[in-house]
Amino acid sequence: MNMYKKILALVLAVVMAISLCACSAGFTDSKSSAETAAPAASGADNSGAEAPASTTAKTLVAYESAEITTLQQWAVSESQAFDAMNQAFEGLYRNDANNEAQPALATDCQISEDGLTYTFTIRSGAVWSNGTPVTASDFVFSWLKQMSSDATNGYSFIMTDYIVNGAEYNAGECDAADVGVAAPDDSTFVVTLKNPCSYFLRLTTLPMFFPLNQEYVEGLGDQYATSADTMIYCGPYVITNYDAAAGVTFTKNPTYWDAANVAIENAEIKIIKEGATALNAFLAGDLSMVKLDASNVELYKDDPRFTSSANFRTEYLQFNLDDPVMGNVNIRKAVSYSIDVDILANAILKDGSVGAKGMIAAGMYGDGTSTFRELNGEVNYYDADAAKAAWAKGCEELGYTPEKLTLLVRDDSVTASVATFVQDQIYSTLGVECVIDTKTTKERGTLMDENNYQFAITAWGADYDDAMTYLDLYLVAGDTGKSTHYRGNYASEEYNDLINKAKVETDAAVRLDEMLKAEKLLVEQDCVVSGLYHRGAAYLIDDSVNNFVMHPFGVNYEFKYASFN
Amino acid sequence: MAKYILKRLLYLVITLWVIATLTFFLMKCLPGTPFDAERLALMSASQRAALLAHYGLDKPVWQQYFIYLGSLLRGDFGTSFMYVNQNVAGVVTNRLGPSVLIGAQAVVVGVSIGLALGIVAAWKHNSLIDYLTMFLAVLGVSVPNFVMAALMQYYLGYKFSLLPVAFWTNWKCSVMPTLALALSAIAMVARFMRTEMLEVLEQDYITTARAKGLNNMKVLTRHVIRNSIIPVITVVGPIIVNLLTGSLVVESIFAVPGVGSLFVDSIKANDYPVIMAVTLFYSAFYMIVVIIMDVTYQLVDPRIRLASGSGE
Repeated sequence: MNMYKKILALVLAVVMAISLCACSAGFTDSKSSAETAAPAASGADNSGAEAPASTTAKTLVAYESAEITTLQQWAVSESQAFDAMNQAFEGLYRNDANNEAQPALATDCQISEDGLTYTFTIRSGAVWSNGTPVTASDFVFSWLKQMSSDATNGYSFIMTDYIVNGAEYNAGECDAADVGVAAPDDSTFVVTLKNPCSYFLRLTTLPMFFPLNQEYVEGLGDQYATSADTMIYCGPYVITNYDAAAGVTFTKNPTYWDAANVAIENAEIKIIKEGATALNAFLAGDLSMVKLDASNVELYKDDPRFTSSANFRTEYLQFNLDDPVMGNVNIRKAVSYSIDVDILANAILKDGSVGAKGMIAAGMYGDGTSTFRELNGEVNYYDADAAKAAWAKGCEELGYTPEKLTLLVRDDSVTASVATFVQDQIYSTLGVECVIDTKTTKERGTLMDENNYQFAITAWGADYDDAMTYLDLYLVAGDTGKSTHYRGNYASEEYNDLINKAKVETDAAVRLDEMLKAEKLLVEQDCVVSGLYHRGAAYLIDDSVNNFVMHPFGVNYEFKYASFN
Repeated sequence: MAKYILKRLLYLVITLWVIATLTFFLMKCLPGTPFDAERLALMSASQRAALLAHYGLDKPVWQQYFIYLGSLLRGDFGTSFMYVNQNVAGVVTNRLGPSVLIGAQAVVVGVSIGLALGIVAAWKHNSLIDYLTMFLAVLGVSVPNFVMAALMQYYLGYKFSLLPVAFWTNWKCSVMPTLALALSAIAMVARFMRTEMLEVLEQDYITTARAKGLNNMKVLTRHVIRNSIIPVITVVGPIIVNLLTGSLVVESIFAVPGVGSLFVDSIKANDYPVIMAVTLFYSAFYMIVVIIMDVTYQLVDPRIRLASGSGE
């Protein structure tokens, strides 16, 4: 029987080992430990006084499909981390439910006549979660940090492109004192720009522009932002737990200046890498929202919880003007007129995508009352008769009828179905065969960079809410006299002049007019590109959640405005 | 025995050093840098230089190697690139917890149920229970664990609300991942045990034991199981290593923050210190399991001698 004793001992040892790892397995349930005692144990220095409220209260739970590897502001480059930061920190301005920038840590901003000097007034009473007031020097410190060689997120350009001496400071050619950011006193923050920039206030909503408290950050050195306890917060929520792989938990920030208007006490961002898991978790009631894969949209589109929106992202046909066939503007127009983008969006994609009637995404900023798209109307549209006429004229000008067209596309399943649709539309309208050339994303990019394509499906997402994010792509590159190969070798002096003028124009109305004209020129008249669709995002949002605001660009969502009914 | 184990541990250290060296230089052959190309392209020259200097990547590779080895000897695994400024030992141990718990539970469930099924199937050879067990075993080997995981998640988690759908908030969350992982272990162990036992049951000494008048139970426990279990231990070793080192797919289906995805992500991101730490852990773990297996052989079958030196 000796052997059995040994085996029994072995089994017991294994059981003990397991119970040992169960203790150190790091379950992230903050609730079970918080139910008996208030969560004061964790962030001793920053968990405010009025935490206990209700431990049974519902938690708002969002999720991200990739890990939040860092929350160190000058190292963050991924949208999942921006989403988390947006809840716990705040900039001078914050986007509201209509994607308009509203005063946040600044109460207002005086812009000088020439549009170059921005004087922000910092909100009195705005404090960090450790009680330190938020001052103008917090902004100076963080903006300089973002422009310095410390910044590793690759986002320095978003400041150095605009701010006086930013690029020079970045290159180590001038001192911090020469850079166009200054704090004459605690509540005044002055920014000097190189050129007028009509969307600069909207940029200040981005996480790169959030403040950082110099004393606190430098006191912690390398340890800053490595855990929930090594950050102080100035946003609607404070972070109670941060785990790169499991997610971030939040609780309402009692010291936030607008705390009275933050309705939900507890929130969380989980990390779920599998779309199917997220959907199951939502259906089981563990998530407040879920993003639907295109394959699930059909199944849930009549569900009352269904909502969809189009992002500021345009998928479009890029014609190569150096190509002998596509060099002819009538051939390009014939192709553009023969595609019905509404059918594409509503019958083929069906995921909340919207047919693109131009280059600038629907919903993007125009003059404040109407969107850019509304102001400029449809600059590419479906017209079968016009398509046939343009084709005939184009062939006549060429002196021959092209046997086939070749469309270069990347190899994902959505693009494949879009390409098939385009192929079919061209064939049924113009009677010409369109060959689909499918390549990996990287190969497709290389072919386009090498000017080795006829026309291609490509896409651009807005960096900021202004038409310029699209329009300056088609400026002449270097001394070639044309836009880059990737952008179709567009050579138009008129277009170039319009964009360059708009870039320095101080009068918003004149600038807008120049940009409207430029888009008409680019799409309608010269037909360098032809819009296909603005990519949609479809969600289910739990019916107990009201006003869960999602943005079509930049940071994805806001907990601040949400409430439970 | 103690001398034997000591000797094996010494070999382990040497092997780890060889592995560390090989991995270090192989890693440096990976294309790219720990920082993604797109981001680097957006950075200025001074930012890039500062970044590389911060992580000591500006030095020649051989120098980096000795620096790394030096800090390793001091028990310092370095700082992660991907998880900015996070201590690698902390990152890895955090992520090991869930994987080891799920893996250990899967080993216990898998091996015990597998053995029981295998024993019953062989003992009741060609009966209904035998066929059922073998059907289950074929299923367990051929159905991938992520299919089982997805099915369990949908039915046990969502439809019948018996267990949490996913996440890692309390012990209940570990049940479904454990079962998903244990299934193939059950199948393998059951099949192996059954085959071995059937062979042992044919042996002359079993007939002898029966002829001497031993009852069935004694024949089974004293002679059959003890003799058939040795080859099974051989398969259990790799199963343990396999289960305890985490499963990328099962972890990502159940949103468990385990070590499986850490290893894959760190390689994709060229996060050298994390790759090294996880590799060293996996290797050390594998070797320790092998040592334990060798010791167990002797416990089960005294004929196997581990004596060092002349015995071999």
